[in-house]
Amino acid sequence: MRVLIVDDEKLARERLKELLNDIGGYTVVGEAMNGAEAVEKASELNPDVLLMDIRMPGMDGLEAAMHLMGMENPPSVIFTTAYDQHALDAFEVNAVDYLLKPIRKDRLANALTKAKKLTQKQAREISQARAEPQARTHISVHLRGNIRLVPLPDVVYFLADSKYVAVRTRAEEHLIEDSLVNLEKEFGDRFLRIHRNALVATQSIKGIEKSPAGTWQVSFKELDTRLDVSRRHTAAVRRWARSRPKGG
Amino acid sequence: MSTPPATLPPWIARLRERAERIEASLNRRLSAAARSAEDEGGFLPNFCRGWVVFNAAIAAELLAVLVTLLMPRQILSASAGQDLLLVSVFVQWVALTGTAVLCLARKTLNRLPNIRALGAAFLLLLLNTFVVSELAIWLLWLLGQIKTARPDWYTDFHLLTLTVSAIANGLLLRYFLAKHELRQRVQSEARARMQALQSRIRPHFVFNTLNIIASLTRSDPKKAETAIEDMAELFRMMLSQDENLVPVKNEIDVANKYLALEQLRLDSRLQVQWDVGKFPRKAVMPVLTLQPLLENAIRHGIENLASGGTVEARLWENADRIHIRVINPLPPPRTRRNVPSPSEGLDTIRQRFRNQYGEAATLETEEREGQFIVNVVLPTRGDE
Repeated sequence: MRVLIVDDEKLARERLKELLNDIGGYTVVGEAMNGAEAVEKASELNPDVLLMDIRMPGMDGLEAAMHLMGMENPPSVIFTTAYDQHALDAFEVNAVDYLLKPIRKDRLANALTKAKKLTQKQAREISQARAEPQARTHISVHLRGNIRLVPLPDVVYFLADSKYVAVRTRAEEHLIEDSLVNLEKEFGDRFLRIHRNALVATQSIKGIEKSPAGTWQVSFKELDTRLDVSRRHTAAVRRWARSRPKGG
Repeated sequence: MSTPPATLPPWIARLRERAERIEASLNRRLSAAARSAEDEGGFLPNFCRGWVVFNAAIAAELLAVLVTLLMPRQILSASAGQDLLLVSVFVQWVALTGTAVLCLARKTLNRLPNIRALGAAFLLLLLNTFVVSELAIWLLWLLGQIKTARPDWYTDFHLLTLTVSAIANGLLLRYFLAKHELRQRVQSEARARMQALQSRIRPHFVFNTLNIIASLTRSDPKKAETAIEDMAELFRMMLSQDENLVPVKNEIDVANKYLALEQLRLDSRLQVQWDVGKFPRKAVMPVLTLQPLLENAIRHGIENLASGGTVEARLWENADRIHIRVINPLPPPRTRRNVPSPSEGLDTIRQRFRNQYGEAATLETEEREGQFIVNVVLPTRGDE
């Protein structure tokens, strides 16, 4: 079985490697120090199982699991944690594998033999049960069976059509399967709804102008595109524009 | 949780899994509800319980003896024994019906705030006394002991029973309330002590460090040994109840032991830059002042930075004041919904300074250019 070890502490990774070596029959195909790296490596190395710490700087283990579960053939995930009562409760309820640090060899061997796959729903529920629920730091995009992570600060806007949502960054555009309603719920403090089908990053907005046709349009700092503001959202957008800090 | 036999169709397995999940969540909610009922239950004991009723009967009997002793003779009957019997029967009646009333009304009463519950229970018991007294008179009349249901002592009798009942029940209810309040205070003190301990010894730090030590026992037993010694010393300080003032040097020693442990965990991600000025020999500060400041810097700063950073700790003395400044880099603002701010972790220290020095010590925090800065000023000689 191919294992990917994810922990921000070097000695914690060492310990897992040693224990796996003792148990035998497992190959450590790689190591990662945070969630984003874990997602990248998992999609590149195709491990069967991930041993992943929950608390890591940048993207944590729970968010990484959420992205991973979107893969075509996601690996199993066994979480490792020192102490995180809220997550543990959620694990119990959702019957998700976890190991408590200091990690014991017999427990590890046991968990590996019955390692199961998470569902995306489980990952989301656990993530919501945290003491400090957070929004994702990245959006995951599927490219030819691989996962690409788009950091949230790079997103200029989300534009929905009938089936997909387009994620627009300065340089690229990707399609994701999500709904604007969910995205707005999750990132509402950084994004502004300007139309039934458009959610824009407030930090990317250059200005709000009237078009020759008499409708309002949003222009962006780093893109030439303009997006229409729907009549229903005009008031909210103008309110936001007025309260926006000067020079921002 | 047993796995279903392989022959079962998958939908049964799914159903079962779902049922188990619901059961688990229900169980959690139930136990939470039970806990809150114990905590927030009203002050009245459960009058539906046998031994509470028994206690009520004993108390009633003592009251009956008291009333009989105080009563002028020849009101009821010729002998003291017979008096006591009559009074007892009456008082027991009042007491037992009163217990029954409280048993029935308990759920409603416990939902009220304590003072109102006390008032309501008091009125209920008075009403009960009045009803039982009235019934007693009717009974005497029906049995032919008195000629009318409105004898000339009718008003006096009611006044007497109501007064005695008011005094006895008032005392009793007040006693229950006081007992309840005492129990609550003990509970909340225990909880506060537990929280204070947890804020000193953070489980996350403990278990991660133990994991690291387990790893070191193989690769570097010498380091593992030092780590265990450091941890023991640190825990001894954290577990001690004293709020002693200790020399500045001791505080720096303890802080260094703590930092050595964190360094094992965070490796090159944690850099520390000390800048310690000259201190008079008598300079003291409360035990465990420096370590929590550094722990806060690591917990809210370094630990959340993938590439780590430097914690700066500066200590100097000026005009009979000890100055401590701890600076740490902060991770970029995240889209968290309710992150505790770094200064929240300092509340316990703030509280301890207030207990020790009153207004003479200050702890101020500021965020500047991605850095979090804590400034502490303490009187050099402790109390002033």
